[in-house]
Amino acid sequence: MPDSGFPWPIETTRLDNGLRVVVSEDRTAPAVAVNLWYDIGSRHEPEGQTGFAHLFEHLMFEGSTNVAKTEHMKLVQGCGGSLNATTNPDRTNYFETVPAEHLELTLWLEADRMGGLVPALTQETLDNQRDVVKNERRQRYENVPYGDAWLRLLPLLYPPGHPYHHATIGSMADLNAADLPTFQAFHTAYYAPNNAVLTVVGDTSAVEVFALAEKYFGAIPSRPEIPAAPDGQYVPGAGVATTETVVTEVPAPRVYVAHRTHPFGTAGYDVTSVLATVLGSGRGSRLYQRLADGERIAQPDLVGAYGVDLAYAPAPLIATATARPGVPAERLAAGLGEVVDELATVPVTAAELDRAKALLSTAWWRQMSTVEGRADTLGRYATQFGDPRQAAERLPAWLGVTAEQIAAVAAEVLAPADRVTLTYLPEESS
Amino acid sequence: MTLISTRPGPGAARPYRFPKVVRRGVAGGQLVAAHLPGQSLAVALLLLDAGAGREPQGREGLGGVLAKALEEGTAQRDATAYALAIEALGTELVAGLDWDSFQVSVQVPVDRLPAAVELLAEAVRTPRLDPDDVRRVRDDEATAQRMDWANPGPRADAALRADLFGAENRWGRPLYGDPETVAALEVEDVRIFHSEWFLRPGTLIVAGDLERLDLDALAATAFAGTGGGAVDRGGPVEVTPRDGRKIILVDRPGSVQSTLRLGHPSPHRAHPDHVPMRLAGTVLGGAFTSRLNHLIREVRGYTYGIRGDFVSSRRFGRFAVSSGVQTAVTAPALVEAVGEITRTQQTGVTEPELAVARSWLAGQLSVELQTPRAIAAALTTLVVHDLPDDYHARLRAALLAAEVEEVSAAAAAHLHPAGLTLVVEGDAAQIRAELAATDLGEVVTSTR
Repeated sequence: MPDSGFPWPIETTRLDNGLRVVVSEDRTAPAVAVNLWYDIGSRHEPEGQTGFAHLFEHLMFEGSTNVAKTEHMKLVQGCGGSLNATTNPDRTNYFETVPAEHLELTLWLEADRMGGLVPALTQETLDNQRDVVKNERRQRYENVPYGDAWLRLLPLLYPPGHPYHHATIGSMADLNAADLPTFQAFHTAYYAPNNAVLTVVGDTSAVEVFALAEKYFGAIPSRPEIPAAPDGQYVPGAGVATTETVVTEVPAPRVYVAHRTHPFGTAGYDVTSVLATVLGSGRGSRLYQRLADGERIAQPDLVGAYGVDLAYAPAPLIATATARPGVPAERLAAGLGEVVDELATVPVTAAELDRAKALLSTAWWRQMSTVEGRADTLGRYATQFGDPRQAAERLPAWLGVTAEQIAAVAAEVLAPADRVTLTYLPEESS
Repeated sequence: MTLISTRPGPGAARPYRFPKVVRRGVAGGQLVAAHLPGQSLAVALLLLDAGAGREPQGREGLGGVLAKALEEGTAQRDATAYALAIEALGTELVAGLDWDSFQVSVQVPVDRLPAAVELLAEAVRTPRLDPDDVRRVRDDEATAQRMDWANPGPRADAALRADLFGAENRWGRPLYGDPETVAALEVEDVRIFHSEWFLRPGTLIVAGDLERLDLDALAATAFAGTGGGAVDRGGPVEVTPRDGRKIILVDRPGSVQSTLRLGHPSPHRAHPDHVPMRLAGTVLGGAFTSRLNHLIREVRGYTYGIRGDFVSSRRFGRFAVSSGVQTAVTAPALVEAVGEITRTQQTGVTEPELAVARSWLAGQLSVELQTPRAIAAALTTLVVHDLPDDYHARLRAALLAAEVEEVSAAAAAHLHPAGLTLVVEGDAAQIRAELAATDLGEVVTSTR
């Protein structure tokens, strides 16, 4: 067992304005990854403003005080870099990987949009990106079979008012209602240096990065009051199984079984991660062996289980299967439920546990094999747990999970009375 | 607040060096490897001359079915025992194909690579291919394809490919076949394809910390029990663009977006204009600030994204633009996309645009080639296209040296806006009349 999942140096500092800076030097390749985690996600959005955190992520690419519209993308790609950003319920992250000599340019760009977005934000830009996001919603959620499963699962798992109740993409109605002053206020409220972590990994040094961070970010003022998201740690159980059935244009019946488990970063969630791998990762998993191979009621390519790594409330575990031709949805749902139930009653064998840990180890090292993968990991641990060094503990924690712990967590959080079941049925079979 | 208004320039360039390439013949096969010191993961990839181009006419999807059937048990163990053995190493067998090759690979912590290569070779060289299993895999694959074809995209892709290359040719049909061709495959087709193409040694690609690996032993494992030599791979196929544009409408009732696939044939991979063509494609549709994405997404808001590129294999190539646009703006989006292709063909590229394209593509070599998987893919390119060890260094130099004149000339020669096939997959009842009114070309309805 490795002592550490992060055998690279980590150095940290905090600027006077509260910006936390994390650096991990690695001279292997002449590239650097720059990553900013802002502690603002869809969990912060009040009712009527769903989708705002994500739409705002789009606006961050549309120019700032010293950067013209479209120039951000042009400058990063024009120096050979890759870039993107993502928003999820917990946070928004922005990242670039560039040839090492362009580190300073990248930090300048990030500082300019942290400190100078509001003056550049126009109604035209907002309208354009609102249309782009509405097209993103159509493309990813509305125009594909089963595309809205996540949008349906969240409100079944988390009650109204809970920070995870609504999906990050938001509703069309709320997106249509978004006005410019609201977005200006959104930036002012959340895009502050004391609400962010800057991580740089790769062909540079902590001394260099700390100096550049001070130079470019140092003058951006901190904000005294950053609105907190509603507390979601306690989720009252429904006490009875929750089911929803959707009859729509899909090619085959599909069932999702979902449970609230433990928040990412806790010992309970480490057990859940190993449990999910035993249950639904690979051809040796219980779901594959039982439903795709054994009973042959599930399509082999479309059976699996995974945890969604959310940190501020009991995170979801989702298991899913799609029916082979001629298999009724009820039979598939019963089979899926049975395999999930057995995690509490049929002990996980040493071979199952070793298999899961081997797959998780490879997945961990794959994430660590790029500078951008490492930067995002360090940014996460600094933002969510206050210390990037805790990243090193995740892999050893997985490797320490026992069969008894899996059975105990399964008994605790996977009870049928706490289960959410979402079933899709093709229209003709209704 | 004081933001620094002056944009910083670059520091001293730190040039990227592709890892040193090791090539040698071992045990009848070819070994190609790259040293990644200190890397904890390693990749082994067996490259076989068994791409989709080798599938017999009317047997499209054979390679895809065989890829799945490899894991249904071997001479030594059944499917479950095989899954447990390979996953206990922390890897899964990744098998797939393109037009030029069939690839099977594993990625594991470096000390487990010998065991993983043994299992890889066991599946590739000695699969059980029990008739009942093969029939079940075939049926499951046909079902999987029907699932996939329920998404927007595959039907439009197939319509474009058939119009570009002719459905009577293998390369005019989908890479992985379609639900019907897969369902029609017989057990014997799979067994014969395996015996013909999977028992030749092929090339073993290794990317990892070579100081911790015995390459000859890995190659001996991968090539054990193989025989037969290389088979002629055929020359480039001459395909001419169509005479006059045509709109092919693929009906998808109720669709809230229209899926656009615009394209025409283009040169094969070894064509001397490969680099300037790629740069022209990047200016037009590759970079985020490309002409197409800028106009259709950033100015008009018609789409979440639109991209266009030249893609080539050993024998043929194509230029294509793809996007999903809101149903109500299908016709204007199509007109404006054709307009940008036309403008680029007629007036070429500008230096500021080319500057972004060339340094982006050159810089991506250092940014993207970090992982064992990426290096293995780069080595695969060298082998499939008969390129020298210093290809990546030469490519970087060629990209950075490309001038406006040669890239504009490539755009003029290899873009054919008047010969575009315009496939639109969407709600025909809502968009047919508007498409006809664009005068971009005759509108025909796809029958599939």
